[in-house]
Amino acid sequence: MAEMQNSNPTILNAADLPTRLRPTTTRKSEYGGIFTSALPLAPVDFESPPSSDSEDDNLLEEPIDEQEIYDLISSISDPEHPISLGELAVVSLPDIMIKPTLPDVPDSPLQTVTVLITPTITHCSLATVIGLGVRVRLEQSLPSRFRMDVRIKEGTHSTGDEVNKQLADKERVAAALENGALMGVIAKMMETCH
Amino acid sequence: MSALQTFMLVVDHDKEEAKRIAEGSAHDIEIKKVTLLDTVQSLGEYINDEDPILRGKAISFLTAIIQALSPKYLSRQQIQVLTTFFCDRIEDGGAVDGLQALQGLDRFNKFLATQVAQALFSNFQDLQSRSQTQRFHVYELLNDLMSNHRGAMRDMGDISLLGVVDIMTGEKDPRNLMIVFSILKVVMVEWDISNHVETLFDSVYNYFPITFRPPPNDPYGITAQDLKGRLQECISSTRHFAPHSIPALLDKLDSTSPNVKKDALNALIACIHLYDPDTVSRYSITIWGVLKFEILNAQEEFLSEASLEALQAIAQRLSEGVTEVSQELPLAKYLQPITKECNEQLREPQNKKANPAQSILSCVSAASPVSFVLVVQTVVPPIFTLYQEADGIVKQRALLETLNVLFDSATTVFGQWTTRGGEAAIENPLLEFKDQFSDLFGQVLMGAAKEEVSFRVTALKGFLRLSTLRDYFQENEIGLFVQYLDEILLKEESVGRDDLKKEAIAALAEISKHKPRLIVDITFPAFVATLPEEDEGSDARYLPTLETLAQISVERDIFETLFRRLFSKLSVLLQKEEPGSVAYPRAILATLLYVMQQRNMEQDQSVDLYFDKVVVGLCRDVAASASGKTKNRILNDPTVLDTLGRLCNLLVRSVSIQKQEQVAENVYSLFSAAGDFVPLPFTQTREADRERTIIISTYLLAGLSKDYGNKIPHTDPDMAGLLLDLIYRCVLSTEPATHQAYLRHLALLVNKFLSKQDVPIAERLIDSLLEGENTELQSLSPPIIRTIFWLSKALILRLAPATTHILTSLLALLSSPDQETSATAAQGFSIILGEDDIISATNGATIRLLCRQRLFTTVIPLISTRIREVNIAGTDGSHPTPKAPDHIKPAHLTALAGILSTIPTALVMPELPTLLPLLLQSLDLQTADSVAVRTATLDTLAVIILDNGVTVIDRCGHVQSLVTRLLKTTSTNIGPGAVNSPRLRADALKCLNLLATHQVPGAASNAPPGISPLLPVKNQVLRSLRAVLDDPKRNVRKAAVDARAAWLRCVDDAPDEEE
Repeated sequence: MAEMQNSNPTILNAADLPTRLRPTTTRKSEYGGIFTSALPLAPVDFESPPSSDSEDDNLLEEPIDEQEIYDLISSISDPEHPISLGELAVVSLPDIMIKPTLPDVPDSPLQTVTVLITPTITHCSLATVIGLGVRVRLEQSLPSRFRMDVRIKEGTHSTGDEVNKQLADKERVAAALENGALMGVIAKMMETCH
Repeated sequence: MSALQTFMLVVDHDKEEAKRIAEGSAHDIEIKKVTLLDTVQSLGEYINDEDPILRGKAISFLTAIIQALSPKYLSRQQIQVLTTFFCDRIEDGGAVDGLQALQGLDRFNKFLATQVAQALFSNFQDLQSRSQTQRFHVYELLNDLMSNHRGAMRDMGDISLLGVVDIMTGEKDPRNLMIVFSILKVVMVEWDISNHVETLFDSVYNYFPITFRPPPNDPYGITAQDLKGRLQECISSTRHFAPHSIPALLDKLDSTSPNVKKDALNALIACIHLYDPDTVSRYSITIWGVLKFEILNAQEEFLSEASLEALQAIAQRLSEGVTEVSQELPLAKYLQPITKECNEQLREPQNKKANPAQSILSCVSAASPVSFVLVVQTVVPPIFTLYQEADGIVKQRALLETLNVLFDSATTVFGQWTTRGGEAAIENPLLEFKDQFSDLFGQVLMGAAKEEVSFRVTALKGFLRLSTLRDYFQENEIGLFVQYLDEILLKEESVGRDDLKKEAIAALAEISKHKPRLIVDITFPAFVATLPEEDEGSDARYLPTLETLAQISVERDIFETLFRRLFSKLSVLLQKEEPGSVAYPRAILATLLYVMQQRNMEQDQSVDLYFDKVVVGLCRDVAASASGKTKNRILNDPTVLDTLGRLCNLLVRSVSIQKQEQVAENVYSLFSAAGDFVPLPFTQTREADRERTIIISTYLLAGLSKDYGNKIPHTDPDMAGLLLDLIYRCVLSTEPATHQAYLRHLALLVNKFLSKQDVPIAERLIDSLLEGENTELQSLSPPIIRTIFWLSKALILRLAPATTHILTSLLALLSSPDQETSATAAQGFSIILGEDDIISATNGATIRLLCRQRLFTTVIPLISTRIREVNIAGTDGSHPTPKAPDHIKPAHLTALAGILSTIPTALVMPELPTLLPLLLQSLDLQTADSVAVRTATLDTLAVIILDNGVTVIDRCGHVQSLVTRLLKTTSTNIGPGAVNSPRLRADALKCLNLLATHQVPGAASNAPPGISPLLPVKNQVLRSLRAVLDDPKRNVRKAAVDARAAWLRCVDDAPDEEE
């Protein structure tokens, strides 16, 4: 392995990363807490089990939001360290935007996801690889009505424009994905996705 | 032909015969028929033959005779003559074995041992050109000489040392090396090796690292690990090796192979443990210099762990015999560069390398009290300075975490309050900072902004460690911490996931083990004071308080207090005219139940007191309440009775024999006096309040030991009447809780207390219930069906003689033309083997091991056949059978799903070819009422795939059909009347995910051998899942993302060739 470019980056505490708070448990049963283990619900035979997903819940739609995008990409590992992009603050929740692709056509389902990447140091040559990794992960994980826009955050990289050009160029991305060695690196980065 | 000639003829092909011949000759010698001399002389014509094979056979004859002679037979002189004879011909086959036999004799002396050794060393210079077996025999002889005549060997000094090294040099066979290494280790430890250290070291180190891989089916069973172990023992055997071994091993850490590095580190650790402290000290700083890179730039976790272990081992060795702290100690010199480096890294405590620096401090400071003092002296003051200058909470928290690491080491070194013995002779250096710590951690815990949860949690954890650290805080200082925790739990609003409150409860529970008094004196009054007299509103604020109390009251003293306080609350409630919601008394009972479940009540000395108060006292109250003689209706509520019943059940199980007898007699009277309450059985009452007492009776009965069955009322001369009365009540009762209790009560009596010879009584009862069928419609009412199933459960679990007959009758119900009968019966099958809180092993129910197997093997073929009949009747027009009603197939599939959910997969696997088509048909069901069946089916499939991989499904030829059905189940848009609930969709995706990740049975594997059976469907799966990525439900999308990633990653046409 080549010499590391940034061997001692700052790391965020995993407990401080943004997470989706569980919807405050509406205490349907009286005992939501520890007593459920002591007191299993009164046994019910010969009746369909109390289904947790009632009709109302089933119809409630949960659209794809920024937190969901964050959850998809924050667990990707950095190619240099066995640490996640979230912990390294390479990706962060405020730097993810979802907007309608065609604002003038209100009925269009097309949406654009913008992800801004902040490399750990301004001359990181792996920024392209990270960008590509994020892009591949999103392409594998989002429905086809989403457009990806993965860019280096302005002012965080010495050759940001150059990298952005590569990431935005569909043909170059496609060519890169044909490259076995590069795909090997990206597959390794995505092993930690869960 | 002479014995010798016969021996030489057969020795090659018949070892047994050869042995017999030699034994005959030995016998002749022992009875003095021939002399030993004659026998030796008879060899004469062969032992000088040109042909070495012939010579070898002749010598072997002599060897075989010696081996057969009794150990006392040979005289000293004879041994001497024979030894010389063998030594002269040592290169001939059999001579080495002869010598081996001779050296084991008592009369073999030191002088002869030297002679043999010398003969070995001078004649086997070319040993490595001989066969493996020959070499093996030579090493064995040498090994025996080493163990039986070590003094003689050692007195040979350099001759034996060099001799051994010479003959083994170049040895490659693993079996031989195992012996060679153990011979060499003896030389290394016991000989004076000062002139030949390097020779000796090289002789073994040449083999490092061991790369041996045993061949498949290796008959000798020697593993690489065996060899590594022996080699490591040699390398670490003597401190004289240090100048060679330590630099060489450190060099090996430059290797690119993690395995080589691991071996080198393990050997290094062994050296540190076995060389003397002075030697270790000499190399300590060099070792640190190399290992720090392994830790700070960790490549593999196991390498950094081994490196940390080495660093700690050095600190431990250097602490040996040290009683006073001084900067002149070798230990201090060793720790100096370490703490310096760590301090350096900790300046930016939020950076990546701070973490390994913490680990280093953790392991060296935990090595010994002296080591801890030295580390604390240099590390703690700078942390305080850094903390003052820190520009943000992130950095401050990282610094607190470093302190927490040191507190852990302090706990290792000085123990906790509950640790017995082993007080350290040195004062805890943290005492100096006691007030500073208390202020700092207290201020962060209580003073930091409420939303800085992880910062406050870190402070809480540190405070807790200091509070449990032996002889550190005073009681009042820990008391202050307890007050902080109380305040957090009682006064603060919930934030986010409530991590802080969870930690606070855990901390109080931890302190309760060390300082129970503080909990009783401080926490209890504060918490109990917030409990209301009665539940007035709907907010149930008492629940979190009770939950907390439950979790901190497991210690004996605290539990007694808890019981007293809560029981008096409950008594007050029971006396009130308007006691508010029954949820409150129920929660109080649940709290007591929870804690009793955590404790071992049988060992509790106060169990009789609890028994009298709860079982006797409250049961009496229940009886009074049932007769309408109480001020309120708390004890008429079924949920309260259920909780109280569980509490009674637990206590009944824990009490003495006498009390059990008492319970048996009072199962129905509930300890009340004869006039006050009429026990339930055989009364005509239909009053709901009276009937509800069966809930308590059932729990009492469940806790009772089998042995007191005869004390239960109404069981003499047999139970027939009681059972009939209960069946009558099962069928007629309308309130669900009462109905459930009757069913279980009935099953309990039949399963646990009905004597073996009376089992037919119950079997007859089932038959008569089945006969009650309405002949016209072939229908039975649901309560009757339930009663039948519970009776069946009781009998099947004890494998009653009629088990098969019962099962066939139950299956017949599924084919009833009455839809309700069929559907109710279908749901009943999950009951038979289903877990139940009352009919359970804990309660001593009779559950035979083979009942699951019996049920499964009886029922599955019948269901399979029946479904096939139904399928054929539907499709084949020429077939005379009329088409069966539509509900019959789903009913059978529901029954199947119910059974599968209660059977371990190991039993399922042999039947998989029969079963899989049935499971696939279950997935074909589409309507809303089939959701439960499909969910159960997916659960079963998931377990099958998890345990056995794709191969079993491939072997049945169902991969394509399974995948297609799973994909169909993931879709939201499947036509009118069809429903895939979100849970179903997610479960189907989970199965798809498991297919890809478990292509090989057992472990998740990334590279399946050969071409994956999933490959033909890969594109279909990826295409279909793309649509599922847009599912309206988030957790379904998540499952789809994971499944898709798994298929992209794991389903490949060929295994990776690189690895």
